[in-house]
Amino acid sequence: MTLGCRSGALSLAVALGALSVHAGAPACLDAQVPAQAPPAPQAAATPPQQTGVPPLQAPIPPAGRLVAITNATILTGSHGTIERGTILIRDGRIAEVGTNVQVPAGAQVIDGTGKYVMPGIIDSHAHTALEAVNEGSNSVTSEVRVEDVLRQDGGGIYRELAGGVTTIQVYHGSANTIGGQSSTLKLRYGLPVDSLFFQGAPLGLKFALGENVRQTNNQPQPGQPRRYPFTRMGVEEVLRDAFTRAQAYRREWQAYETARRAVRRGQPEPLPPRRDLQLDPLVDILEGRRLAHVHAYRAEEMLMMMGVARDFGFRVASFEHGLEGYKIGNELAAAGTGVSTFADFWAYKLEAWDAIPQNAALMAERGVVVSINSDSDERSRRLYQEAAKTVHYGGASEEEALRMITLNPARQLGIDGRTGSIDVGKDADLAIFNGHPFAPGSRVEKTLVDGRVFFDRDRAPTLENLIEQMRQRQPRQGGRPVTSAGGTQ
Amino acid sequence: MKRSLRIAAAALVVALVHPTDLVAQQTAAQPAAAVAIRNATIVPVVGPRVAGGTIVLRNGLIEAVGAGVTVPAGAQVIDGTGLFVYPGLIDSGTRLGLTEIGSVPGGEDTQELGEFNPHNDALSAVNPSSEIIPTVRVNGVTTAITSARGGVIAGQAALIDLMGWTPQEMGVLPRAGMVVTFPRIRSGRRFGGEGGQQGAEAQAEEVNRQTRALRTYLANAKAYAEIKARLAAGSPGTQEVSLPMEAMVPVMRGESPVIFEVETAEQIRGALAIADSFRLRIILRGARFAWQLADTLAARRIPVIVGPTVSSPDDRDPYDAVYAYPGALARAGVKIAFQTDAGADSRNLAYNAALSTAYGLDPEEALRSVTINAAQIWGVADRYGSLEVGKVANVIVTTGDPLDARTQLRHIFIRGQAVPFTDRHDRLYEQFRARPRS
Repeated sequence: MTLGCRSGALSLAVALGALSVHAGAPACLDAQVPAQAPPAPQAAATPPQQTGVPPLQAPIPPAGRLVAITNATILTGSHGTIERGTILIRDGRIAEVGTNVQVPAGAQVIDGTGKYVMPGIIDSHAHTALEAVNEGSNSVTSEVRVEDVLRQDGGGIYRELAGGVTTIQVYHGSANTIGGQSSTLKLRYGLPVDSLFFQGAPLGLKFALGENVRQTNNQPQPGQPRRYPFTRMGVEEVLRDAFTRAQAYRREWQAYETARRAVRRGQPEPLPPRRDLQLDPLVDILEGRRLAHVHAYRAEEMLMMMGVARDFGFRVASFEHGLEGYKIGNELAAAGTGVSTFADFWAYKLEAWDAIPQNAALMAERGVVVSINSDSDERSRRLYQEAAKTVHYGGASEEEALRMITLNPARQLGIDGRTGSIDVGKDADLAIFNGHPFAPGSRVEKTLVDGRVFFDRDRAPTLENLIEQMRQRQPRQGGRPVTSAGGTQ
Repeated sequence: MKRSLRIAAAALVVALVHPTDLVAQQTAAQPAAAVAIRNATIVPVVGPRVAGGTIVLRNGLIEAVGAGVTVPAGAQVIDGTGLFVYPGLIDSGTRLGLTEIGSVPGGEDTQELGEFNPHNDALSAVNPSSEIIPTVRVNGVTTAITSARGGVIAGQAALIDLMGWTPQEMGVLPRAGMVVTFPRIRSGRRFGGEGGQQGAEAQAEEVNRQTRALRTYLANAKAYAEIKARLAAGSPGTQEVSLPMEAMVPVMRGESPVIFEVETAEQIRGALAIADSFRLRIILRGARFAWQLADTLAARRIPVIVGPTVSSPDDRDPYDAVYAYPGALARAGVKIAFQTDAGADSRNLAYNAALSTAYGLDPEEALRSVTINAAQIWGVADRYGSLEVGKVANVIVTTGDPLDARTQLRHIFIRGQAVPFTDRHDRLYEQFRARPRS
């Protein structure tokens, strides 16, 4: 695993005042951050002017060795619903689930009476916490990495947590054919950026097809030349050329390895080929070490991409958006390619004109692994409502709809062994709602990542708290407003 | 009853075509048979729910509704067992009919050049054949405000029913309100955002310029309206006709409201100051910081069109601020109605309201805010917004709460006519669902 555990990001976090205590801790943290003292009461310390997001210096939640969520309705995501069930968490993993779970003495107990617990939501397509999204200057930029531009983001990650999201896949944009290397993150809000990486998640590479790549909706500035390709045909050529170069590069390395192994004692070692940072990730894909995630809208461009994959001997892990996937459910299912789509977003560009809100349900009916993603910090925080729309439009069952934001995206990202359902042995990534997640009045009460409560509405700054604070600060004024002249800002 | 309804409508509407006549015209060609939905749970919105109730629609209007209603002879009967009947939903801010595919040149018809375009009527540009409109109405939205945007005065918003052969037929209120965007800093949501001090100063200056220009424009319009009134009263003299100024006359007389697009508390204070200076009737729209002035707005009875709630707050604001502010306003006594501010996404009106019910908005008030409150704010509560005898038969029949995304719609009526469930999505769905599996 080569995911970044670099000191640069860590020192950035330290510079931001984020928990200098972590400076001495290992840079790559995954569920093993040292426990902190229990957080101090928050409300009194929070000035009304900065109440939106808890400061990044806020004490991180303690890692309880034993946590139990009791007497809750548990939507497992894998094996139905358990009424009045208990989830026991040990060292950040789910140790027991069911109706006959004994809560050991000393466990931190979260009373789930009247609450619904679902697997932490997985948003398989986000751009949260990125300093930059598109390299885009060349058609092939597989050398650039999302992990290099991850920032200590406050709002985006926090609000996603507040919507029950625990894992996101962050991608480059879709400005060019091969955009760059993606990262899978766990939303451990408040910890240094390096602690966000989902250790053990498969590597990913973002591809893009269609209008964004063709730049048909983003005219270049006057005097700036158009970038090749300008057509879908050109996009295919770029892909085939890149993988052809990757094959040649791979052969060079194979030849080198063969030669090196054949070296006799005393003979000089052969010189290795020059490392090519752009082709390395493509070789990863050819050798099945990295997942290809491909932004696409139209049916024919997805068929084209699957054709390229077939010719070069790899599988497309997922089409991102895939709004016309319903037209080619047979081909997608046969190729084992998942689709991560929108619930009902359409008509914003020509290639979204044949998008239908029944897409997810219809593809699922044909055996495609389907997930619902956000592609935006805003949609991400209400992905549970987006999933409910697949029941409304395509007639998906509630369980199926739930899987589209939990187990299915986990499968597409290759992390379903670790998260995505409430099963013994999996990471305790959980969202606790005050009602059924698909019901209109439901909201997230607590979100746990690795068994630790990273979002808790009881402690969160809310609008209601803010209004109350302002009422207390200044006595209520009369009905007339204090008017300023002409409303200058 | 029908006669008095016509009189009430005529008094309210300065319409190109009389809307009640439109209903009569449209339904005249239809068989006169009534439609009766029987044994359903009726949710009239203005009164208690009626279990096992019946509603009768005839000639585009609600003829009878309640528990002991007899189904008229010859009526088409719909069995409402297990179903719920609600009034059609009203979206108080959209671009419906003015937008089709956003990114395609010509696909968006909402932004006129120039800063002052009060004479632009949204209604005349509404495309009744829009492929988007059917996808919106099958989700229960039967009526919507649609309007242009941009500049300072964007033009007249129209209240339309989402079915009709021509824009004029669709029109409920051809001139529902004058859309005015309160001058604002555009890059970054709030003052002092990105762009540094220099940029912020330059932008503040631009905001001041626009605000002065708006005040000057309103002063001219006030003078124009006064001259017009004096000429009408017999004063000698003449007045050169100005179409923009003519459009402003009903606004300056307080007959037509100003729809003030605002966001921050500062902008709201500015809008109130302008309303005071020129005695304007105003409706705030957007207004996501209106909770800071909730008591003032309640005391002054200024309604707020809230939403879209599918929007992110600033980092410095509470995470739930956008979801929760409609509830905070309603609790303070402000009359609210929801908007989506959208084209295609207008079908998510009820789900916008649903997000707020999770954060403090009473579910009954949420329902009112997409029905009767909207009708009241737009001045059509005598004809729209609830299930009452004599009102326009915009009616939806559902399997449950329309705010719940899992709910299905079974029947939709606009002006008493059954709305077909076939839209672009449906056609493609059926086409590709029929594709052989191998």
